[in-house]
Amino acid sequence: MKSPAGPIVFIIDDDRGMRQSIQDLVESVGLRAESFATGEEFLKRKRTYEPSCLVLDVRLPAMSGLDFQRRLDEAGMQIPIIFITAHGDISMSVRALKSGAVEFLTKPFRDQDLLDAIQQALQRDSAAREFQAEIHDLHERYGALTGREREVMTHVVAGLLNKQIASEIGASEATVKIHRGHVMQKMQAGSIVDLVRMADKLKLSPRK
Amino acid sequence: MTRIHFLAPGFPLAEFVAFFVILGLLELRFRERANELHNTNRKLQEMQAEFLLMSRELQESKARLEEAQRVAHVGYFIWDLKTDRVIWSDETFRIFGLKPQDEPIDLARVGEMMHPEDREFVFRTAEEAIRSGVQVDCEHRILRPTGEMRVVHSLGDLKKDSSGQPYQMFGTTQDITDRKRAEEALERSQFYLSEGQRLAHMGSWAASSLGVRGSGDLNIYWSDEVYKIFGLDPQNGPPNLEQYLAAVHPDDRASMAKSVRMMHEQRCGCDLTNRIVRPNGEVRYIRCVGVPLLEDGVFKGFVGTTMDVTEQELLTQELRRERAYLREAQCLTHAGSWAANFVTGQIFHLSDETVRMHGFDPSEGAIPFERFFNTVHPEDQPGVKAALESATRAGTDYDIEYRVCRANDGSIRFFRSLGHHNPSGEIGNYIGTTMDITEQKRAEQERERLRQLEADLAHTNRVNMLGELAAALAHEIKQPISAAITSANACLRWLAHDPPDLERARAAATRIEEDGNRAADVINRLRSFYKKGATPERRMLDVKDIVQEMTVLLRNEVVQHSITIHSELDANMPNILGDRVQLQQVFMNLMLNAIEAMKDTGGELTIRSGLSPEGELLISISDTGVGLPLKNLERIFDAFHTTKPQGTGMGLAITRSIVESHGGRIWATANQEAGATFHFTLPREAEAHA
Repeated sequence: MKSPAGPIVFIIDDDRGMRQSIQDLVESVGLRAESFATGEEFLKRKRTYEPSCLVLDVRLPAMSGLDFQRRLDEAGMQIPIIFITAHGDISMSVRALKSGAVEFLTKPFRDQDLLDAIQQALQRDSAAREFQAEIHDLHERYGALTGREREVMTHVVAGLLNKQIASEIGASEATVKIHRGHVMQKMQAGSIVDLVRMADKLKLSPRK
Repeated sequence: MTRIHFLAPGFPLAEFVAFFVILGLLELRFRERANELHNTNRKLQEMQAEFLLMSRELQESKARLEEAQRVAHVGYFIWDLKTDRVIWSDETFRIFGLKPQDEPIDLARVGEMMHPEDREFVFRTAEEAIRSGVQVDCEHRILRPTGEMRVVHSLGDLKKDSSGQPYQMFGTTQDITDRKRAEEALERSQFYLSEGQRLAHMGSWAASSLGVRGSGDLNIYWSDEVYKIFGLDPQNGPPNLEQYLAAVHPDDRASMAKSVRMMHEQRCGCDLTNRIVRPNGEVRYIRCVGVPLLEDGVFKGFVGTTMDVTEQELLTQELRRERAYLREAQCLTHAGSWAANFVTGQIFHLSDETVRMHGFDPSEGAIPFERFFNTVHPEDQPGVKAALESATRAGTDYDIEYRVCRANDGSIRFFRSLGHHNPSGEIGNYIGTTMDITEQKRAEQERERLRQLEADLAHTNRVNMLGELAAALAHEIKQPISAAITSANACLRWLAHDPPDLERARAAATRIEEDGNRAADVINRLRSFYKKGATPERRMLDVKDIVQEMTVLLRNEVVQHSITIHSELDANMPNILGDRVQLQQVFMNLMLNAIEAMKDTGGELTIRSGLSPEGELLISISDTGVGLPLKNLERIFDAFHTTKPQGTGMGLAITRSIVESHGGRIWATANQEAGATFHFTLPREAEAHA
């Protein structure tokens, strides 16, 4: 589901020289880049659906990079972050990485380190985005099931036989079979194993 | 004689019989009369004898009367009102200084002997008495032929004839000169006494009993002054015990009653001072002294004095109060007073506090001078001794400080002693005060220690500040270098493109140059900080440059706390002569201060320049922060004065010392809306050169 424009790298650094050079470096490897002096400016930008990542200076005006990371989380904006800092310490980097940062680089950094981190971040983001899209898709399919079908699906993924399901829901075995067929069809499941994996992703808990 | 009688008819028998009866009765009377006569005769004889006896007695009695008159200086006079001649007794003559004679004397002569001033009064009194018929009673003076004056007391009774007309005055004249003199002397002495009592507010009293038993009658005599002291009317007489106690102040009544009872029971004297309440409510202090009066060992009663001592008592109380205050004051200030002679070692006065300060107990009584001197710290003894000796020799005051090892616990105290030589007194007579200045001394030492610390800290502060500046600068250098490296990497990558993207490569290379210069600038500033040198280096400076540098240096601090910096600097502001590093420090301190004030709220930091009315360069640094402390505003530039928990209190002190060393002034004002503004002036080039 890659957008035709390709992935995009966002840079937030209050030092103009720094953010220009990073943007230039990113662009030199053929990636799109956009830079901002403050987090606020970045938040004002329209949200993108392309895979993207954020190169964030830890020391930002008004708000530290770590605080900004938390704020993004709270806003539901999941974007991989690469922290850069002029004087990072271990505790700060641990905190950043623990809260999901891809990398923590100390200025001046090797260009390849940054580019590798960017690549990694973009991959992580596109995987995440694909996963998100799949989940979204599954939710849509699941949403198309009737209540009876959902009930049957729960019992199927729990490993019950048609007969058992019939007695469980108080219907004939034939009816269960019809429901089951509909479920497989609507969920686009090739096999029971497929269906179980889908239920897993939908976090459906087997009914006891 | 024959008595034949015939009774003829018509014979008057009845008359006849009556005749004989009467005859008989007459005879009987005659006989009785004869008897009476006889008896009378006998009686007369007896009377004659008696008369002779009486006449003798009269003679004796007359002699005795004369004697009595002479002894009592009483003479009599008989004044014949018809002839105005006067008969005098011998003593009367003697009283008038004349020889006794039998002849009566003329009234006119008597009048001449009267004292001229009394003559009229005496005759008027006499005439008055004669007219109204009363007794004469008067005292008057007479003049003896020698000119001697005597005082006599004359009494005179009128004798009246059958028609009630007075014809004679009989009277006595008594020479009362001696008595009169004694009386006058007594009167005079009584007058003096009462006057003295009045002046002294002192009365006297005498009492035969104290009314403890029986009726409660005090049997007391009070002099007028006692009545006056008690505010009572002498007309009402002295009080009884109950009334007396009622006049005593309620608080003193019980003890007074007890004292009275004790005086009565033990026949002992008293000397009491107590309060009384006058009828008008006024309270007076009276002192009552009484002694038992004994005559030949027999108790007769009490005599005594009553004195109004209100004024003395109030003065005494005030004195007592003031002494208490003084004692208290000495105790509080640890200052004692004394008076002594250093030559003889005699001590005239020592306040309790003086005694206590040296570690002695005021209750242990007199302490010799030597013991006081021995409490002086052995190391200070020679100095104290020398100071006292030289002051004594020269007769001058002295002011010395020394240590004392207290006599009781051996603790060491610092004393300051001021001695004032009494020039009118003997050699070595000094009065003075001794103060315990240990606390001041310790505070002084502490201050000295703090001053040292302050100096150390000022140095440390400078060192620390340089360290921080270095760290800040290192960060500042990293930034452009990182940017340059990244740009170089980008540049290489643009060149590696096929075909190489020269445009982008050139742009990258340009940024590299910019960032390189940026780094070099920072390093230049860093060098200027390190190039401090021991002596300040005065050079012509553009303050704008310094502001610029500091703004850059503090950028991290500023952005971290959401603060914006505005510079409103006059483009034509004059250059000044100064030490770059020191002025950097001034800006750094004031700007950090402003940031500190706004770190929780964010805000604006504004730097303005202008000219003071005196034409000096005026720089103002304003913040919109918490503002200045309301109290101790003038102290904010003092060393160690800080309102910040982590502050050293040195920043503004150093700032001020730098500004002042440049010939400028620094002060702070509160902003109208929020925050504070620090202003400082720097003299312009010309003045700085001068």
